[in-house]
Amino acid sequence: MLFPTATFAIFFMVVLPLSWFLMPRGERWRPFVIAASYVFYSAWDWRFVFLLAASTLWNQLFALAIHRRSDPRTRKLLVAGAVAGNVALLGYFKYFDFFVTSTNNLFAVVGIDVPLEARSIVLPVGISFFTFMGISYVVDVYRRDFEPVGLGKFAAYLSFFPHLVAGPIVRPSELLPQLEAPRDPRYVDTARAFFLIATGLFMKVVIANYLASNIVDQVFGAPNQHSSLEVLVGIYAYAVQIYADFFGYTNIAIGIALLLGFRFPQNFDAPYAAVSIQDFWRRWHMTLSRWLRDYVYIPFGGNRGSHVFTYRNLMLTMLIGGLWHGAGWTFVAWGAIHGTALVGERWWRERPGYVEPRSTAWRRAWQRFVTFQIVCFAWIFFRSDSFSDAWDIIVRLFTAWGEPSELVTGGVVLAIAVGIGSQYLPRRLPLALMARFSRLPVPAQAVVLSVALLAVHAMGPEGVAPFIYFQF
Amino acid sequence: MPTRRRHPRRRIGEDGRRLHSAGSAIVVALLTLAIGVLLNAPGLHKSATIQPEGWKRDVALGFTEPLTSVSEALLLDRPRRGLKAVLGRPEDDQIDTRIAVLEPPDEPPNPTPPPVRERFTPKRPLRLWIAGDSLVVVPGQSILRAVGDRRAIEPIGDVDGRIASGLERPDVFNWFEHISEVMRKEKPRAVVVMFGGNDDHGFMTGLPEGREVGAFGSASWTAEYRRRVAAIMDTVTRSGVFLVWIGLPITDDADQTRRFDTINAIVQPEAAKRRGLVSYLDTYFLFAVDGGYAQFVETDSGRLVRMRADDGVHFERAAGDLIARQILRRLNQRFDLTSWRR
Repeated sequence: MLFPTATFAIFFMVVLPLSWFLMPRGERWRPFVIAASYVFYSAWDWRFVFLLAASTLWNQLFALAIHRRSDPRTRKLLVAGAVAGNVALLGYFKYFDFFVTSTNNLFAVVGIDVPLEARSIVLPVGISFFTFMGISYVVDVYRRDFEPVGLGKFAAYLSFFPHLVAGPIVRPSELLPQLEAPRDPRYVDTARAFFLIATGLFMKVVIANYLASNIVDQVFGAPNQHSSLEVLVGIYAYAVQIYADFFGYTNIAIGIALLLGFRFPQNFDAPYAAVSIQDFWRRWHMTLSRWLRDYVYIPFGGNRGSHVFTYRNLMLTMLIGGLWHGAGWTFVAWGAIHGTALVGERWWRERPGYVEPRSTAWRRAWQRFVTFQIVCFAWIFFRSDSFSDAWDIIVRLFTAWGEPSELVTGGVVLAIAVGIGSQYLPRRLPLALMARFSRLPVPAQAVVLSVALLAVHAMGPEGVAPFIYFQF
Repeated sequence: MPTRRRHPRRRIGEDGRRLHSAGSAIVVALLTLAIGVLLNAPGLHKSATIQPEGWKRDVALGFTEPLTSVSEALLLDRPRRGLKAVLGRPEDDQIDTRIAVLEPPDEPPNPTPPPVRERFTPKRPLRLWIAGDSLVVVPGQSILRAVGDRRAIEPIGDVDGRIASGLERPDVFNWFEHISEVMRKEKPRAVVVMFGGNDDHGFMTGLPEGREVGAFGSASWTAEYRRRVAAIMDTVTRSGVFLVWIGLPITDDADQTRRFDTINAIVQPEAAKRRGLVSYLDTYFLFAVDGGYAQFVETDSGRLVRMRADDGVHFERAAGDLIARQILRRLNQRFDLTSWRR
């Protein structure tokens, strides 16, 4: 069930009033929202509902067991077991075939036939997201950040449909307290909710879909049929497409949660306005960055050691982050590029005698330009199916200047400009728009939103492609 | 003593936004959807029409048909039509089911191939057009990558792959009109098509007045589908253009594979009737391992390669490359694409 569809609109218009109706009675609201979330999830494949339920039970049982034990060694063993179970679940569904083909092909080089067979395993949608949230829960209980909640509350937390299939990755400490007490139906931030949903729809349906079908798919499908200019613009277009796609999804998810009375953390903060790769990761998929920092980088030792130790931890974290995005070596390469850039930046700043230069507008503009180019270079590997495809793109970028560039149209350039330009808008502009919208009478709000819906529906292509992050 | 209101009627939230009640949120959402569907009625009606046959389509049509009438009566469809016109896409909401079928030729098509392989060079390249449903996209892109180094072939644009389209449903996308137009405007010399992936059911639109077809695979269905396949083949080949028709592959669903076999069994004889002009590429056995479906296939070098997508139908890039090699071999047999190098 994709957000920008009539099916979801009908689903949500049933769930929204019922949710508020049942909200004062938590013991009724929780089973209702769990059931609604499972219905939402089963729209992809009903069989995976059992997987979600199993993940819920697994994490809850381990959280309770960890909480009841005081012996540090036992607690450590239990948390290791819980994490191993989550990783095994993810490993089987997401990485088994990748492991088999990689092993098989590695040994094939030296002529050894490995008796391993790929199993054509279907990847359950959103498994990477709910597995990470499950790990958060047991590790936070282990760290004594909070006590485990009841099964109903935990099931509602893990399966809550706005975040279920593509995040944001909401930490237990952010959502579970909101599930403790009923939300106040008198004060809902409707203006922000509707603004986020409308902008999310525009970014996904209009910008992301337009760029995908008008330049990105063609350029990455057959780069040697396109000019260097088309390839260059195609790479920038993909940078905007993936941002618009994921930012759009997240906005809709946060807006929907807000209409139901729940606040989700922000997931993007103008990432293409970042002045360094470190800054980029503070702005891009912020909930994943935090997760990787708290549950991978810090447990590895973080920066509590020598410089080399810190660099190793940074690199390992980014490699794992790359592999999280997809079972392929190109995703590992994407993580490696970001890891190398992060290590490089850190090494540069930690040189003896380094003095931070004065920040000027020109300097920031240059830093933003360089950061964006590195990010776009990494996107080539992220989008390509193989290293040879990525290499084709890179080679073509330099070898076909002057050829006709029919794909570089005014519409494509405008969509890229909107995608990047929106990140340089003054922060007060959307806030002022939301404040003004919130003061409109209810019928006027509906008219404004209907016109936005008209624009999105009319400007978007027929049908809606799935969100890119569903596959991760 | 001043009275103290327990609950203020309105409250200002973050950044000066006025907070509203949940009831107000529900009313705004309902009103937005109500006005929004009226404003978008023509588009919603088309989306409903082009859905696969079934109760969901019936319900959607039952909802959007009166909605469109109301929208037109209130002139609420005008903003959308105006916006579409400004965007240069006024035909987006039209439902076109005309099937352009050529008059049967006075004489049957010449069954013998032309005696001389027509010669193409970088200065006079073979213009190649690749089109079809979503199944053609991956092999089509493989062909484009492969011909990048063969300067005697000039692709016409990118792969013209249309998701969810086929020969059964011109209302979803009218291939009959589109192919006629491309042949007229672009004048390709060779065409590669793949159809049928979305045609394995019994619902057809664009039927001639008074004609009805039975279930998928019935005699009436087969006759009508054959007529459409023949129409595409004749439209492409009437001016001597060479057509390669990619057959449907084995899938991970045995029932679907049987339905694909039914379609292949219609296409293959039609291609055979036009020998020399149409070449049918059988993909079934390219991807069948020990007679059955396989997602991963071991290559001659022992490498395990993923050939099919998770849906069990579409191709992965390695499969596309395999099909592309077969197609280029046929183009090389039919045309002289290499002698210019000597």
